[in-house]
Amino acid sequence: MITLNDFLIISAALFCIGLYMIVSKRNAIQILIGIELILNAAILNLVAFGKHDSLNNSGQIFALFAIVLAAATTAVALAIILNVYRRYKTIDPGKINNLRD
Amino acid sequence: MSLVRVLFYLMGFIAVASALYAASTTNLVRSIFVFFVTLFALAGLYVLALADFVAVTQVVIYVGGILVLILFAFMLSGKETLDVIQQQKGKFFSIGKLPAILLAVLFFIVIINVIFKADANNLSWVKDSIANNNTITPNAVMIDNIGVNLMTRYLLPFEAISVLLLMALVGAAHLSRKEGSE
Amino acid sequence: MNNTSSHTDLILITCTLAAVALPLLAALVNFCLPVKSKAAGWVSTLAILISCVLAAKVFAGVWNNPQIHVKQVWFTIGHTKVYAGILLNNLSVLMLLLVSVIALPVHIYSTAYMKHDDRYSRYFTYLSFFCFSMLGLVVIDNLVLFYAFWELVGFSSYLLIGFWFTRDKAVQANKKAFIMNRIGDIGLLSAIIILFVQYRTFDIELLFAQKGLVVQSVVNNGLWNGPVGSLPAICQYIAVAGIVLAVAAKSAQFPLHTWLPDAMEGPTSVSALIHAATMVAAGVFLLGRVYPMFTGTELSILACIGCFTAFMAATIALTQNDLKRILAYSTISQLGYMILGMGVGAYSSSLFHLATHAFFKCLLFLVAGIVIHQMQHIKEDNHLDIDPQDISLMGGFRKKLPLTFIAAVIGGLALVGLPLTSGYLSKDGILIQAFEWSDGKDAWFSIIPVMALVTSWLTAFYVARLIFKVFFGDFRLTNAYPNLKLHVTDGGWPYKLPLVFLMLCCFFPLFSFNPIAYEHAWLFSGLKLPGFVIGESSYHLIIPVVVNVFSLLVIYLAYAIYVKQIAFSFPQTGFFYRLSYNQWYFDKIYKRIFVKPVLGLGKFLYWFDKNVIDGFIHLLAAIAGCIAGATAWIDKYLVDGFLHLMASTVQSIGNFARKFQSGKVQYYLFSMLAIVLALFILKILI
Repeated sequence: MITLNDFLIISAALFCIGLYMIVSKRNAIQILIGIELILNAAILNLVAFGKHDSLNNSGQIFALFAIVLAAATTAVALAIILNVYRRYKTIDPGKINNLRD
Repeated sequence: MSLVRVLFYLMGFIAVASALYAASTTNLVRSIFVFFVTLFALAGLYVLALADFVAVTQVVIYVGGILVLILFAFMLSGKETLDVIQQQKGKFFSIGKLPAILLAVLFFIVIINVIFKADANNLSWVKDSIANNNTITPNAVMIDNIGVNLMTRYLLPFEAISVLLLMALVGAAHLSRKEGSE
Repeated sequence: MNNTSSHTDLILITCTLAAVALPLLAALVNFCLPVKSKAAGWVSTLAILISCVLAAKVFAGVWNNPQIHVKQVWFTIGHTKVYAGILLNNLSVLMLLLVSVIALPVHIYSTAYMKHDDRYSRYFTYLSFFCFSMLGLVVIDNLVLFYAFWELVGFSSYLLIGFWFTRDKAVQANKKAFIMNRIGDIGLLSAIIILFVQYRTFDIELLFAQKGLVVQSVVNNGLWNGPVGSLPAICQYIAVAGIVLAVAAKSAQFPLHTWLPDAMEGPTSVSALIHAATMVAAGVFLLGRVYPMFTGTELSILACIGCFTAFMAATIALTQNDLKRILAYSTISQLGYMILGMGVGAYSSSLFHLATHAFFKCLLFLVAGIVIHQMQHIKEDNHLDIDPQDISLMGGFRKKLPLTFIAAVIGGLALVGLPLTSGYLSKDGILIQAFEWSDGKDAWFSIIPVMALVTSWLTAFYVARLIFKVFFGDFRLTNAYPNLKLHVTDGGWPYKLPLVFLMLCCFFPLFSFNPIAYEHAWLFSGLKLPGFVIGESSYHLIIPVVVNVFSLLVIYLAYAIYVKQIAFSFPQTGFFYRLSYNQWYFDKIYKRIFVKPVLGLGKFLYWFDKNVIDGFIHLLAAIAGCIAGATAWIDKYLVDGFLHLMASTVQSIGNFARKFQSGKVQYYLFSMLAIVLALFILKILI
């Protein structure tokens, strides 16, 4: 029998990998991939817990919502990346440091 | 050990391993294609969690929509990006990435710790659900139920999501418009 | 005392004040005039003319009348009130008149004499100031103010002697005169202080009147007892010695006489004024004022000083070749006579001689001035390099300067003291009284009148020599320079008028209707001390005869030597000649005894200053420098270092914090996650 903990551990691993990608990658697209990984880790948790709610299916429905939201954010994020590339001729977030003191 | 469990470990391993590879590689193209694998493996895990509809949606939206979008974005960002990417001959384990790795590992430890402290299997509502036989069984068909719930119980979030989606579409279209071509 | 000022007295006082103040006013006006302004001469002359008239009025009002003494409180110290005022008695009005009358011809003469000087108005400024000082000196009744005017006289003489200050010799001479006079001033000042301590007053009238405080006090058992208090007797000696010193300095007596010959560096008209009536007369006048202080031995000392000075100066005058220098030594000699007269008790004769001497010496100096002026013209016209004052170059001026010649002869005869002149009356009076004085004493004391007698003959010789050399014979300069252009005249009326006026004053009728006996001179009787008895000894007949017969012989001898050139010539290498020619070596002795040690002391002190004191100060400076350096080091490296450390710490903290603001999104995210993680870990561990 697959327990909740198993799902949670995999989810945690995915989350941490996503975190690592977000923090360390020098490429906006890879950072986007990291974000998707974190979202998927969350969705996995929703789905895992949704197993115990057959009546309302809240977990699965919110998982669906999350997937849709992820699609929307990805679309917007990609648009932003394109704009950034157009303006700075790079997609390395480390080089876009106009915010710097 | 049941077949389900074997499949779960297989899927879990594939998901984590492919994610790790996607994270470690410096090649963006590989990273993107390995991410396909991760998404597929996750879809498998959703199936094992008895969420067939979510798994299908995952494959349709992520693999069919998001990844294609990413590929397009990658291709649109042009040759220079590729050149920059090729130059990044960083190793998996480099001093510059050490803080990030440390951070991730520590986060992982903390989360595992939290998970074991929380002891999700023995949560009260989970026990109630098991006791009330409210748990989804592998044989049950949940798609009807999901459709009904979407249109009744979760109508408001559903509509909100749809408006959000529209806004995102309009926003994305607006953002990706070429400047000065009004 | 007569403090109730009647109407007449008031007028006289006002006249006196005006007579004193007018020259000061003239000096102030001249001071404001341009340096070359010719108006200055007339301002000063007019002032002194009015002064002279006023003085004559005062003289007529006071002479042989009760004295006038007015005073007011000047200032108060504790309970001691110090009065200041004017004391007019026979002595002071005589001096007042004398000074102004002598100053008048000198002023007139100066307007011509100084005509071409660049600092014409300055000259008259000084001259008027000089007259003011002297006039103030004679009328003031307070010793402190007396001292002030005494100093002013010294100061203005300093200005006048050094009037041609571009000449080095003039500067030296006025410094010498000034320093010599300071020595005397110290004496006078100490005397004034002692008198004040003893009698608690500065009032000359109170101190030195006939029944004044000084007369009432006696020296007893080593104490000097006065009506007010008593002091050790030594104080009286110091006071007397101080006054003697002051008199000696001002009137050029023996130890302090060397300034006077050097003072000839001033303009000749100034010399006339200084020598005749003002500067040198001040000393004798002081003696006349404080005469009651002198008794017994002190008078003898005065007599000795006067006698020695007279003799010494006369011997020096014998051999000098400088025209003015001869006259200067003659002045010293005559002043010696006056002091001698004071010393032997011939108070009135002495002052009488002061008055007569003023006229004829002034006359002689004006004559000398004309001669020197002409010599100067000859020198400038012919571009010669000669000393215009050297009598060995002169001669034969008798025909070229007839009026000057007559004036010189009259002045000379008065100086020698031949009958019918004023000099005869005053000088023989002194001589006769000196002999009478020595009669009652030891044989040693008879040296004094004998020396005075010899001096009188020496005077006859040097006067004769002077006149013969200058006015008789041929003009010696033409022997050396045959092609001289000569334009020699007596000069205009500003030259002639003073000469004529002073010539008239040299004759006896001005002073006495009896040309033979000095006792009948009105001036003599007006100044007689109370209780003075005219001796009736045989000296009254013998002395004048002896003096004058020998004087005539001496004059003839001089005539023989210098005009006929028949008699012997003096050996110019003899000891006495050299002694005389070098002025008894006084200058050299003083130079060796005083100047050199003082210079040596000065050099030593300079060395001491430079090496020891400066060294010490440099050491201190070096120490201070070291301390300062150490402080600077501490400041720089410790204090500043601490501050820099603080600053750099703050800066590095700031830079450290700044690094967080890298502008990199991932970095911010990383930081945020790290903090969240830290919170989690903290939560778990706690």
